[in-house]
Amino acid sequence: MAAIGILIKIFIVANVLMGAVAYLIWVERKIAAYAQDRIGPNRAGSEFGIPFGLLQPLADGAKMLLKEGVLPAYVNKPLYLIAPVIAIIAALLGFAVVPFGPVGPNQVMDFQIAPYVDIGILWVFAVGSLAVYAVILAGWSSNNKYSFIGGLRSSAQLISYEIPLGLSILGMVLITGSLDLNAIIRWQNEHHVWGVFVSPLGFIIFLVSAFAETNRLPFDLPESEQELVGGFHTEYSGMKFGMFFLGEYVHVITVSALTVILFGGGWDLWGLLPYLNYKDVGWIAAIAKLSVFSVKVAAVILFMMWIRWTLPRFRYDQLMDLAWKSLIPLALLNLFATAVVLQIVRG
Amino acid sequence: MLRNLFLVISTLGLACALATVLSRNLVRAGLWLVAFFFCVACLFVLLEAEFLAALQVLVYIGAVSILLMFGIMLTRGVQGTDPTSNPSARLAPGLVAGGVLFLLLSYGISRERGLRTQRSWATTGERPAIEPGTEGPSTPRRDAINNMGKALGVELMSRYVIAFELAGLLLTAALVGAIAVAHREEAFEPSSKGAPASSPAAESASVA
Repeated sequence: MAAIGILIKIFIVANVLMGAVAYLIWVERKIAAYAQDRIGPNRAGSEFGIPFGLLQPLADGAKMLLKEGVLPAYVNKPLYLIAPVIAIIAALLGFAVVPFGPVGPNQVMDFQIAPYVDIGILWVFAVGSLAVYAVILAGWSSNNKYSFIGGLRSSAQLISYEIPLGLSILGMVLITGSLDLNAIIRWQNEHHVWGVFVSPLGFIIFLVSAFAETNRLPFDLPESEQELVGGFHTEYSGMKFGMFFLGEYVHVITVSALTVILFGGGWDLWGLLPYLNYKDVGWIAAIAKLSVFSVKVAAVILFMMWIRWTLPRFRYDQLMDLAWKSLIPLALLNLFATAVVLQIVRG
Repeated sequence: MLRNLFLVISTLGLACALATVLSRNLVRAGLWLVAFFFCVACLFVLLEAEFLAALQVLVYIGAVSILLMFGIMLTRGVQGTDPTSNPSARLAPGLVAGGVLFLLLSYGISRERGLRTQRSWATTGERPAIEPGTEGPSTPRRDAINNMGKALGVELMSRYVIAFELAGLLLTAALVGAIAVAHREEAFEPSSKGAPASSPAAESASVA
């Protein structure tokens, strides 16, 4: 019985995520259009009286699925086929420990696929590090120099930025005393102070590294259309390309949710609204927390898209300098300063 | 159930390890090694050591193996299909080294006595059940389960502090040594060589 409940939960969450991804692509295209003074997708759905091209994601999805899946003759077939699968599995697995609502023994239900994992944040990073393999295998198995250079660049970028990403959260982990994402939300809720205020430097480093980890502009060197055609996914078409695309957007959602959990207080709203205390149980509190959390995550995602159409791409050596010469020393400094302050404050 | 799961995972792990050794293509060998690391992480989960499992994936799969692949792809020709060494010449020394390591490990594990206060885990057939909940008096075991990172940190910083610091010193020495080996005197323009910042790190991984 419990297993069936978990399966239903996974089914719902995976489908909501996929639907959200489809509409995120629509939102991204709309924001891109406004940023460039265009209109963006506005036709799909107008036959049925649906405005703003809201059916565009359906058309995009159908196009992906119905396109001919070209399998080039010169690729390393098993690895070529497994790379997009790794991309989407790694992205979806990472979401398993993200609490998107209240979690606890007395709550109506646990709004988390795998509740009570005491190493939650470590799991996200471990699974996130698997995503590098999708990129490097896609680049290598395609047997194409553009793909290969894209794959190498991307994996160098991803492993470089994993270090400041991991170091930047350690300040919050020290303050809250737990690797469990629920405990981190609960600490912020108890004190009504968000992580961004107690660990501001950590927040900035986390955000910058998160942009790099998700291959978003200004860090989208793996793709950089102008120089590498498309980077690691040059040889991919149809749904195989679609899986990379979906994986990337699921990754964006996961990272945004992590930003909200670690530095944005989760569903905390400084006690301004009722039902938003970790002690509150029942459906109303659950729905209130879920809504606040979703709105915050949406805000972070919109911020990421806004940045994409604001900043140009880095040059490759600037990218590496930023990670190794600025972010890592700053993250170490942040960790050290947090430890010293905590030792003084708590004795 | 758990014992069958263990048998399945360890069989898979052994198969992956064999494939790593026998594979002729270096990139494929590296990928089999990744699969083997993943099986080891699964075994850690079976032993209720989730923290260790996550670290295994994060460090060995996410960092060490990636650097290994990097080293292969950047130095051995892109497709990694030209093994320069003759594997049959190294068969005998490899077998001897492997056999000695196996004997040493099986001797050590079979003679494990355990601490004074607890039974040797070599003679423990069934694992003790997970202690759930947070109510009631706290036991060390339950605290460790509820906050594994903390328990591990305390142990590393108290009981195993000397080993911990020694390992850190060793790694630092290896890193400095790798940079000294890889460093060249002549003017070196990193941006023209591709993946500049990671190449010393890749060197250190292959040295370590």
